[in-house]
Amino acid sequence: MSRALALLALAGGLFSGAPVGAQVASGQVTSGSAFLSPDLARRQADPTRNPGWFWVEQGEELFSRKPAGGAACLSCHADPASTLRGAATRYPQVDRGGALLNLEGRIEQCRVERQTQPAFGHESQELLALTAYLASLSRGLPMNVAVDGPARPFYDAGKAFFERRQGQLNLSCRQCHDGLVGQKLRGDTISHGAGTGYPAYRLEWNGVGSLHRRLRACSLGVRATQFDHGGPEYLALELYLAGRAKGLPVETPAIRR
Amino acid sequence: MFNARITMPAEAKAGEIVEIRVLTRHPMDRGGQSDGKGGTVPRKILNRLTATYSGEPIFRLDMHTGVSANPFVSFTTRAVATGDIVFEWREDGGATFTRTARLTVT
Repeated sequence: MSRALALLALAGGLFSGAPVGAQVASGQVTSGSAFLSPDLARRQADPTRNPGWFWVEQGEELFSRKPAGGAACLSCHADPASTLRGAATRYPQVDRGGALLNLEGRIEQCRVERQTQPAFGHESQELLALTAYLASLSRGLPMNVAVDGPARPFYDAGKAFFERRQGQLNLSCRQCHDGLVGQKLRGDTISHGAGTGYPAYRLEWNGVGSLHRRLRACSLGVRATQFDHGGPEYLALELYLAGRAKGLPVETPAIRR
Repeated sequence: MFNARITMPAEAKAGEIVEIRVLTRHPMDRGGQSDGKGGTVPRKILNRLTATYSGEPIFRLDMHTGVSANPFVSFTTRAVATGDIVFEWREDGGATFTRTARLTVT
């Protein structure tokens, strides 16, 4: 009897010490924040300690700044805190021209076509800042991308990408990010690959980076082809991931390892 | 690009201990990489943060290359009288950045 109790106590000890990811219900996609250490989770939630807010602040400033020979974002999008709240939850989306655009792509399109300014370029601090600012306006709102209608072929392409084995290691995204969630890989916990915190402050980068930069790191990890930032492969994958993460709240600027 | 986020109470009672949190945006580049022309990139970090309270020094932090990018530090001080707390960062190369926060003592 006493021995059985001791075993129970031991088992209880083991489970309470298990990583957060181990409590993830199967078949249900969870946010990347669920896999953070308690200390990092506190740091993410505390604006006085989360450096990602510097990019949000910079984006807010850029949003109202009038570029030479063009109009400021603010001159069309007045009162962004209410008019653009929720906008980020609907990206990536299919544009009128039939192309799939993510939030970065939409900002660049607006900048080139309506503000008649040169594009910022992928991973530029300005584009990251504006994206982080716009995404931060939707903080707490559930992801809600359209995956039907014109978006269907892109979603299917993203799903196929997610399920296709690739690279020298011959791994598909799904094998880890569905099958091994909560387990360890190179000292980190494998997540569901929900991009709801991006652009995120990543400790490895010492700064804020886009989801596509993170996907490039994944591709490198399985020794597969790294596609371009904003390329069709990652855009389709981003749509699939956003569709998988439907209902999860936007958390930009998140902190990730 | 430098930026700072200073978090502290705007008001405090005389004698109260106040916590001051300072988060800084800075790449803290420790240098040493090749510049592509046969030389190396010089170190460029914030090497010192000082804080004065009504002109009186209350805090000094010397930073070296082991300090991460975008450093965070918190410290405490005793609220004595209403005055400005002036934060000054010194960067390699001689540039300085300052921020001021007012503490009202009731």
